[in-house]
Amino acid sequence: MDPINQLALILVGLPRTLAISILSFLLGLAIGLPLAFIRTYMGKPYQIVVDVYEKVLRGIPEVVLIFFVFYGLGLGLGFPLLKDALTAATFALGIRSGAHQSQIFRGAIRGIGEHQMVAARALGLSRLQAIIYVMAPQTFIIASPGLGSEYALLIKDSSYAFIIGVVEMMRQADRVRAATLDMVFPTLAATFLYILLTFPIATYLDMWGSRKKKQLGL
Amino acid sequence: MTDVVMECRNLWKIYGNIIAVKDVSLEIREGDIKLIFGPSGSGKSTLLRCLAMLTTPTKGDVFLGEECLTKPGVDLNKARARIGFVFQHIWLFHHLTALGNVELGPRRTLKLPKREARERAMQALIEVRMKEWTKHYPAQLSGGQQQRVGIARALAMHPEIILLDEPTSALDPELTGEVIDTLKDLAKKGITMLIVSHEMPFAREVADEMIFFDEGTIIERGRPELFFTSPRSERAKKFMARLIKRTARG
Repeated sequence: MDPINQLALILVGLPRTLAISILSFLLGLAIGLPLAFIRTYMGKPYQIVVDVYEKVLRGIPEVVLIFFVFYGLGLGLGFPLLKDALTAATFALGIRSGAHQSQIFRGAIRGIGEHQMVAARALGLSRLQAIIYVMAPQTFIIASPGLGSEYALLIKDSSYAFIIGVVEMMRQADRVRAATLDMVFPTLAATFLYILLTFPIATYLDMWGSRKKKQLGL
Repeated sequence: MTDVVMECRNLWKIYGNIIAVKDVSLEIREGDIKLIFGPSGSGKSTLLRCLAMLTTPTKGDVFLGEECLTKPGVDLNKARARIGFVFQHIWLFHHLTALGNVELGPRRTLKLPKREARERAMQALIEVRMKEWTKHYPAQLSGGQQQRVGIARALAMHPEIILLDEPTSALDPELTGEVIDTLKDLAKKGITMLIVSHEMPFAREVADEMIFFDEGTIIERGRPELFFTSPRSERAKKFMARLIKRTARG
């Protein structure tokens, strides 16, 4: 098999790699952003719940988490959606990303400072409105470099889905290796593809965030 | 007799064992311009924040018109929308343009339609002579321009009263003039204001009453002439002398 064909076969896994990483990033966002604001603005019991969530999910190895979600929750306990390997992997990485993103956003909220909240409340905005219209947009800008790294992390971690049988890029690379008995090219190609997927986005978000922060004096 | 716009009765604010505001009673009528001055750390800012219910008073009552804001169950968001507040450190929203800053309140708290909110915001920016700068972000404006946007942000809500907490004291001396001019414009329009400030020439020109504040309470109050000629209390006398000396030097 010539390299072009090998590469084409590996790229067959690309849509699933992207699906896992993009969807788990969005799930992480949907969990992490509210958690960060809950942790910042709500009472002690809520803070403890968020802290426990973060600590537990960051403490479990990715492989264990994916196994637990797919075999434990999906096949074992029969949660319907999690019986599907792709969904299970996305869900596992998403809830773990939620713990990361919660911490990223919380740092950003602290960076904005309480005065923006006070100024918003003085206009008569409710706390939720102040969060939506004043705090959250600035939180995104400050957090953008951190979000870039988080996205890169998810692209990389999507390769763990391989272990529960999802046919993503890593899985395809392994198949090509097995079929051609070429130990070097398929893994090297996968390496470059992962770098190609992670590096530009992380760099772009980093630069965009820095420029925006400078422009707004944040 | 004109209507009372804002009033506080026997107001206290205590943090731990520090008494920030001590038994203050104050009444502001429509069109009044009252000016509070006194040493730093004397509780002036805390008093203003209590009046806007940005911090909850420990004891005593705050009234906005007829409505008691210190009673439980009052919709404080609605009340705050009727009170303008201008901060010492300005605190514009960094991520919004000048226009965005000013139209946020009308749009989101008063729930005006987009066009109406924008018109109102433009009107307010024209009043503070910032029409040319509507598309600029706060970081692209000078301190004086930022504070004028801060004033416009309060004005666009059409508040019943504006509370201003040392609106010029964070600015470079050469930038205070433009903000003072803006405040004089508002005074001419008859806008009700309670201002914490040490700008004495300005006070003399526009204030109906000056209130000397120290150690959390009102020491002496009266017409500006009183303070500039013969303050009764020893503390006010000393403070005025220092202020006038500083102004003369500056």
